[in-house]
Amino acid sequence: MNALLEARGLSKHFGGVQALDGLDLLVAPNEILGLIGPNGSGKTTFFNVITGIYAADGGRITFDGSDVTNASARAIYQAGISRTFQRSRLSLPLSIFDNIMIGNHKRLNQGLWFNLVKRSDFKREFERSYADARALVEVFEPGLADRMFEPVAGLPMIDRRRIEICRALINAPKLLLLDEPSAGMTHDETAELMNDILLVRARNKDLTIIIVEHEMGVIERITDRCVVLNFGRKIAEGPYRAVAADAQVQEAYLGAA
Amino acid sequence: MDAGLFAQYVMNGLMLGMMYALVAVGFTLFFGVLDVIKFSHGDVLTVGAFTALATYIGLHTLGLNSNWLNLVVMLVLATLAMALLGMAIARYLVMPLRSAPALNTLLITLMLGTVLRECVRLFYPQGANPKPFPALLPRTSFDFGDFNLRVDNVLMLAAGVLVIVGIQYLLNRTKLGLAIRAVAQDEETARTMGINFTAIVLVTFALGSGLAAFAGVMNGLYYNEINFGIGLYLGVVGFAAAIIGGLGSIYGAILGGFLFAGLQTIGTVMLPFASAYKDVFAFAVVIAIMAWRPTGLIREKISERV
Amino acid sequence: MAGKGHAALWPGVAALAIATAYVVALLAAEKQSLIIILLAIGIVAVLAAAWFGLLENVSASFTDHEDSLAICAVAAACVVGAIFHDNHFVLLLVITVLLYSVATLGLNIQFGYAGVLNFAGASFFGIGAYTSAVLNTHTALPHLLVLLIGGVLAALAGSLLLLPVLRTRGHYAAVVTIAFALLFKTFLEVNDVLGGPQGMQVKGMRILGWSFNDNIDIGRVSLSFYMNYFVLSLLLLVATFVLVRRLERSWIGLNLDALRLDETAASCFGLDIVRWKITAFLIGNFFIGTAGALFGMVGGFVAPNNYTFADSLILVSILLLGGIGNPWGLLVATIIVVVVPEKLQTIQEYRFLLYALMVIAVLLFRPEGLLPRPVRRYFPGWRP
Repeated sequence: MNALLEARGLSKHFGGVQALDGLDLLVAPNEILGLIGPNGSGKTTFFNVITGIYAADGGRITFDGSDVTNASARAIYQAGISRTFQRSRLSLPLSIFDNIMIGNHKRLNQGLWFNLVKRSDFKREFERSYADARALVEVFEPGLADRMFEPVAGLPMIDRRRIEICRALINAPKLLLLDEPSAGMTHDETAELMNDILLVRARNKDLTIIIVEHEMGVIERITDRCVVLNFGRKIAEGPYRAVAADAQVQEAYLGAA
Repeated sequence: MDAGLFAQYVMNGLMLGMMYALVAVGFTLFFGVLDVIKFSHGDVLTVGAFTALATYIGLHTLGLNSNWLNLVVMLVLATLAMALLGMAIARYLVMPLRSAPALNTLLITLMLGTVLRECVRLFYPQGANPKPFPALLPRTSFDFGDFNLRVDNVLMLAAGVLVIVGIQYLLNRTKLGLAIRAVAQDEETARTMGINFTAIVLVTFALGSGLAAFAGVMNGLYYNEINFGIGLYLGVVGFAAAIIGGLGSIYGAILGGFLFAGLQTIGTVMLPFASAYKDVFAFAVVIAIMAWRPTGLIREKISERV
Repeated sequence: MAGKGHAALWPGVAALAIATAYVVALLAAEKQSLIIILLAIGIVAVLAAAWFGLLENVSASFTDHEDSLAICAVAAACVVGAIFHDNHFVLLLVITVLLYSVATLGLNIQFGYAGVLNFAGASFFGIGAYTSAVLNTHTALPHLLVLLIGGVLAALAGSLLLLPVLRTRGHYAAVVTIAFALLFKTFLEVNDVLGGPQGMQVKGMRILGWSFNDNIDIGRVSLSFYMNYFVLSLLLLVATFVLVRRLERSWIGLNLDALRLDETAASCFGLDIVRWKITAFLIGNFFIGTAGALFGMVGGFVAPNNYTFADSLILVSILLLGGIGNPWGLLVATIIVVVVPEKLQTIQEYRFLLYALMVIAVLLFRPEGLLPRPVRRYFPGWRP
């Protein structure tokens, strides 16, 4: 298969801790890949290395045909990878609209002249962006669509996570990395969130998703394929059912029998 | 340059380095324990120096003229007073702002520094003018060619070394030091291990501020004069030294202090006609080092969970 | 006027009118006792307004009708100028408020929007002022151009200073700017070329032959020569204010907020942190330097003693008191910080101490400042 994202022999250590240990991982275009494993197995580190927050100590990363192994976070974004964070990282004093627009950076005109002088052109771009952001928010939570200029600080956690996903989706990325999107949510809220993500994916055929989750129900329901990590290495891969039945995986999660 | 002159420069550099190192160690202690930059540190030094001076004047008025005794009393009083001040600062200004952005703590301590400085300037009798500081150490000196070795400088250097060694011992060999290092590394775990976080923070601030008082007295003895602005200058230098050494590392702070003094000395040698530029030179090099090694020569301990 | 806001216009107008009347009274008062009474009334009035929720009405009014109210504010300034048209002292005070406001607006871009610490604001102000001094004395450059050059030099000096440390954490920029603030004054004092501790004279402004340093006579009315500078300063403030507002209400303002609030996340969404920090710093310093250059010409001389670290802290105090990021709060705070010590001569000596204490109180009890910064509204009164 022609991989959209491929990691070969990826390694990363922090002092004495080997967080990623020669990891090989492939993501096919348009698939939803689940990334699971016990705590500390390297899932978030993997995301952080892919998105350029940490530099890999070894190995290669290829995205959409190009080598992005030591690319900066900015370059990764420009290439079309967007993400959410394990602990919600929104700019709390800013409005919903502002937070989503942060994700829209590459599609907005950043020139000084445009922003300061050509105000009517800017207004047009602003209104277009507002419409886009609003449409996206409506998918996830119609109630928020009328409150686009409220500060995010006043929103409950579940709404914040939705906004964070909107922020990651607004620039039409090729690859979306979701880091434990359902953390802190109830079962129903999680189910609803997953429906909305699938809805977005249905409208946007080009979207590939890697989702890190601890809730296996989610993984089972929405992923096409899973990769299981333990101690920074891949120990199993395949559809969820197959992976869940794997003895090595069970041992990783539950300890030796 | 002949050996005597060289030795003189080295001696001056060591003295300055010692003072900067003492201030830098304070900064690094505060940062290590609470992740805060306490900008009032330098001005605490000033208040310490003035406290010592006031004590001396008090003792003198009482007719007590023994140099050694006076010096000891001054040191003890200034150190204790500043330790108390440091604890008060921690308790009432720094700890309440723990949940606020780090910028607020920086600003509040900066403003506090101004308050301390202005209080000295406005409320100490003729505080705006430089004040003579008594020469309490033996005035003898030995000449080796161009090199004038002053006994009081040697004594101060020795005292400084003792203090630094003492701090190292405290931090590395005692239970208190262990607690301080534990809190510096990981507050939550330290708490769960039964360490009284607030108490440790207060003790650390007391320690750092006491150090400032000691450095202030040393400063006064070295220059035979103090003024309300010395703390500001020493604070900036000490802070810069702590940064290039790597915030959070005691060795780094000491290294940074002596490095800065070394740079100043080189600057003085290179530009004999304009000694004011020695500071420009030293800071320019510091900025260059910061650009090259943003986390300091010994790594700054940043932990940010992404 | 499609989509005009829900909030009423009159609370804003009323607030402006009352504030203007108050400021006029304060400026006109001479006796210390009267001034103290006025100040007490002012404090009580503001506290009462806050208690009764009136400040919120005013705030909403400003949010939706900012453009109209800004025009009213300019008119109010003109009224103040007209009332004191022959009073040198008051006009100079008003000009000081106007130019300090420009400088603090510049500082706000750096500090309030981009989160870049600048504790050398007064030094950059001084660079602008000394530029005026040197260029006016030694060259025949047109004076408006000199203003621009002052701004550009301040911007350049700032970028040289900050570029190396922009990749580091905030407190590094703090050390660098504090060190610069301390060294700048020493540098000026040891330089006889720049007048040493005594400073230099600055030739007054001349534009196309019109000298700014001569009193103006219109019929039987004699205007203080400071009116020339007053008009120019007001124009500068208006231009700066408009630019700063537009900056905030644009994608650039958003970028600055994003990088101030969360650098890591911002870079994950494509923001070039260093580029935007330096842009903010340059623009901010440009305003500071330009204001300083004009102020040098207004005062007629420059000296190292006016551009110390303590003066930089005054600018920072204005920012914190007024409410970081809120230009209207900034204007109010500037008026308070500049006017009150001048009128209450007894506290002049204590002003550094007092402002430091006030800022400590603000940081402990009301960190948002006098007028907290509202959520970004790209076009006042715009409704979807």
